[in-house]
Amino acid sequence: MSGALLAPAALALGVLLVGPVLAHMARQQPVRRVPFGAMMLLRRLVRRLERRRRIRDLLLLLLRILAVLLVVLAVSRPELRWPGGAPELGGTGAVVVVLDNSLSMDLRDAGQSAEETALSRARTEAIDLVRGLPPGTQVGAVTIAGTAERLTPTLSSDPGAVAASLARVQQSQAGTDLRGGIREARRLLAGQGGEVVVFTDEAGPVAVPAATDELSLLTDQGGALVPRAQRSEDAANVAVVDARYGSGPEGGSVRVRVANYGPVEVEVPVTVELPDGTEITAFVVIAPGDTAEEAVTVPRVSDGGVGLARVQDGRLAADDAFAFHLPRVGASRVLVVDGDPGPTPTASEVYFLERALAPWGATAAMQGGVLPELTSPSGISALDPEEHRVVFLANVSEPAPLAARLIDFVRTGGGLVIGLGDNVTAERYNGALSLLLPAPLRRVRSLANPGEEGVGTELPDVGLDLFRPFARGGRTAFGKVRWRRLHTLEPYDESDQVRTLLRTRTGIPLLVERRLGQGRVLWLTGTFDRDWGDFPLQAAFMPWVQQVVRYLGADTGGGGLRETGRVGETQTVTLPEGVLDVSVTGPGGAVPAQVRGSTVSFEPIKAGAYLVETPGAPPLAWVAVNVDPQESDVRPGPSLIETAAEIDPERFLVRLDLGAGLLGGALLLALLQALVAARRREDPTLDEDEDEDVDEEDRLAS
Amino acid sequence: MLARIGALHLRARQLVDGFLHGGHVSRRTASNVEFADFKEYTPGDPLRDLDWRVAARSDRLVVRRHRAETELAATLVVDASADIRTGSAGRGARPPLDDGSKWATAATLAATVAYFLQRRAEPVGLAVLGGEGVRWPWVPPRTGAGHLAQILGVLAQLRPAGRAQLGEGLQSLGQRLRRRSLVVLVSDLMEEPSEWGPALSALGARAADLRVVHLYDPREFSLDFPDAGRFWSPEGGDPLPIDPAAAKSPFQAVVSEYLDEVRGTLGSWRAQHVLTPTDAPLEVAVGQILRGLL
Repeated sequence: MSGALLAPAALALGVLLVGPVLAHMARQQPVRRVPFGAMMLLRRLVRRLERRRRIRDLLLLLLRILAVLLVVLAVSRPELRWPGGAPELGGTGAVVVVLDNSLSMDLRDAGQSAEETALSRARTEAIDLVRGLPPGTQVGAVTIAGTAERLTPTLSSDPGAVAASLARVQQSQAGTDLRGGIREARRLLAGQGGEVVVFTDEAGPVAVPAATDELSLLTDQGGALVPRAQRSEDAANVAVVDARYGSGPEGGSVRVRVANYGPVEVEVPVTVELPDGTEITAFVVIAPGDTAEEAVTVPRVSDGGVGLARVQDGRLAADDAFAFHLPRVGASRVLVVDGDPGPTPTASEVYFLERALAPWGATAAMQGGVLPELTSPSGISALDPEEHRVVFLANVSEPAPLAARLIDFVRTGGGLVIGLGDNVTAERYNGALSLLLPAPLRRVRSLANPGEEGVGTELPDVGLDLFRPFARGGRTAFGKVRWRRLHTLEPYDESDQVRTLLRTRTGIPLLVERRLGQGRVLWLTGTFDRDWGDFPLQAAFMPWVQQVVRYLGADTGGGGLRETGRVGETQTVTLPEGVLDVSVTGPGGAVPAQVRGSTVSFEPIKAGAYLVETPGAPPLAWVAVNVDPQESDVRPGPSLIETAAEIDPERFLVRLDLGAGLLGGALLLALLQALVAARRREDPTLDEDEDEDVDEEDRLAS
Repeated sequence: MLARIGALHLRARQLVDGFLHGGHVSRRTASNVEFADFKEYTPGDPLRDLDWRVAARSDRLVVRRHRAETELAATLVVDASADIRTGSAGRGARPPLDDGSKWATAATLAATVAYFLQRRAEPVGLAVLGGEGVRWPWVPPRTGAGHLAQILGVLAQLRPAGRAQLGEGLQSLGQRLRRRSLVVLVSDLMEEPSEWGPALSALGARAADLRVVHLYDPREFSLDFPDAGRFWSPEGGDPLPIDPAAAKSPFQAVVSEYLDEVRGTLGSWRAQHVLTPTDAPLEVAVGQILRGLL
């Protein structure tokens, strides 16, 4: 609100203020002297009346000054101005309706039916407005949930069609793009001027201020804003604004943050729902306009995935649940078949492999990661495709008894890593595992004489998924790996089914991949121990083993990628190499997704858990999608009118001339002071100075 | 001056004769040794009190007992401050003693009481508080016609002036009083009770019988003045511009409060308060003052 004086020169009349002051100072003095023998009693009387008289005199002075001041101000014609004058529609011939269908417009006022939301009211008003436009008016419509979208590609002279498109606008869970909406409306008007009628709830502190620059452009291009605010009288909402999983003393702990966007304190139940159906409920008290955090302990063992933190609130349903990631609690079980146990543990073929798989020990592995299960070739019966994702076969001399199980395992999506060694013979392997071999084994080839270092390893291609993590470092560590002996393969051709992933510097295949069914086999033509080379002693060994497990589909710390997103915003997930058949499943079922190269994109329209997967394989990614937290704050934010008034003040200001009111006030004050003055004339003590009395009494007393 | 004394004497005599009309006789005209009864003699009784006639007739020793002698010394304390000369008729510096002013009333009352006590052969004295024109503001209590003339002379010469300083005066008086004296204070009490109230202890210490004649002019207590004016005190101080018509009601509250204070202060010392307007018959006031002495 602001003000101005239309006749500031009239303030010079302020000198009239001297009048009441002089009148106040001038006292009528009686002249007749009366000898009086009871002056002591009169002095008592004067003291009693003095305080009352002073207050009345001061009141009289103030009334007179105020009366004169009001007269002076009235003559100077003050004017009050404040934003709020929503301009009426009409006259420009071009109208664009901007309809806010963001999540906050789903708010219901207390006592209204579930169907009666801010959007339903706005939609009805917008349709009525469009239908009531004068014939020939060009009309357009824009929605602003998520990303602003035109309902009409251009302005239309058919209000019925535009009204029909408005009638089809659905409630969205996405955020508010008022800025984009004004921009689209401005582009629809194409700089020709016109009116942009905005139906929005103006909720939250961000949406309207974010549109300031577009409002300026609209005004500059001759457009006019016509706000139609849909403010809620009793806006209130409770929402889960954050939920995070963390380790706790007795398992996991989910910290849930709940916000209260209402005017009163609330106590609401908070329920954490785990993917396995477990539900844990706690209660949280939240002060008005504040947030509160509650930690909920969840069981230690969990399959991971996406959980939900939920509150009970009857306002906006979409923000009552918050999706959050749960790590896979517990290990990915890997079966390690030791074909050469040796007399001591360190002499075992898999001594280094086992430690690379579970570098922090089995107990730590239970918290997540890889849990290697060591067995002999005869223990292959322990292989359970439901539990084991990867099998390591280390220098097994007789593969035939294992062949059938291993082939089935790989065909159904399992990962198999076969390391060779002195126990391996080409005949037995070529016979039993021909389906798994990229090419028949040929023979063991010696690459160095005793005492020599052996042949080095070529640096891997970090473009391959298996070696992608080493792009950030560690790639050169492979170059230090030396091989003294290797098993060679018969010549083979590279194909979709057979790829050479790593070679020696002399070009001998070192790591070859063979696909079979939904699984794949990695052939290491060397050994997992130090018999044929120093690979287990090099820094690259352990991360390579971990990456092999991950590459073959098992979790080394969780299940698939963990992504977060927002409703209405495009989500992009990077896919492993070679994955083409991808599906995305959301809370409402299958979601349209688009695969481009090594990424898949989709736009979630509902909050919740989204699973990206390829058939027959572990999840590629979990995406926890939530609503824009700004939408949960349904309290009225900055007014569109006030913001527009700052840009185009003349159009939005309400003016009020205060002159007449001030004159009336002055008259009233004059009457009031006359009454007080009349009362003052009845004052028995016409003039008195208490201080002088006191002095006189003191003098007499002395 | 002699005329004034004569007028004062005459008026005092008229007043006394008036309320003694009907043959009342002063008890001091008989012997001051009045028989009461007999009692058996016991060793130690004065022999002069033995009734020898009874002893001769009945051979018994009896002692005659008499009422104790009760000489009542009285002191009149007169307020002669400047304020007391105001009143309905008192304007001049030396007003006539029958003009209805507070001073005229005070002087007449003092003279009347002195005359009454002199007739009863009681010693009577006079103390003057404030005032001017007198050589002896303190006349000790004595008897005799000459002494009465001296008191009347002082009253006739007095010119009310200055302040009474009631507190100091009463304090000083207490040091001069005989025990169990009668003290008659004639004043308008226009000083704060908080100032003179404590001085009553000096009189209480002497077991004095204090009787206070509180004089007031009804016009002053009712603020019965026709026009606004600058009210001033003959004792000094700045005048106060007052509208009597408007002040009447709140002033009554002040007066009432003041009288309560006076009554409370006097009552705490068992002093008799005789509120006496200047327009009332003086016989009434004299009768109240002398109640219990007749």
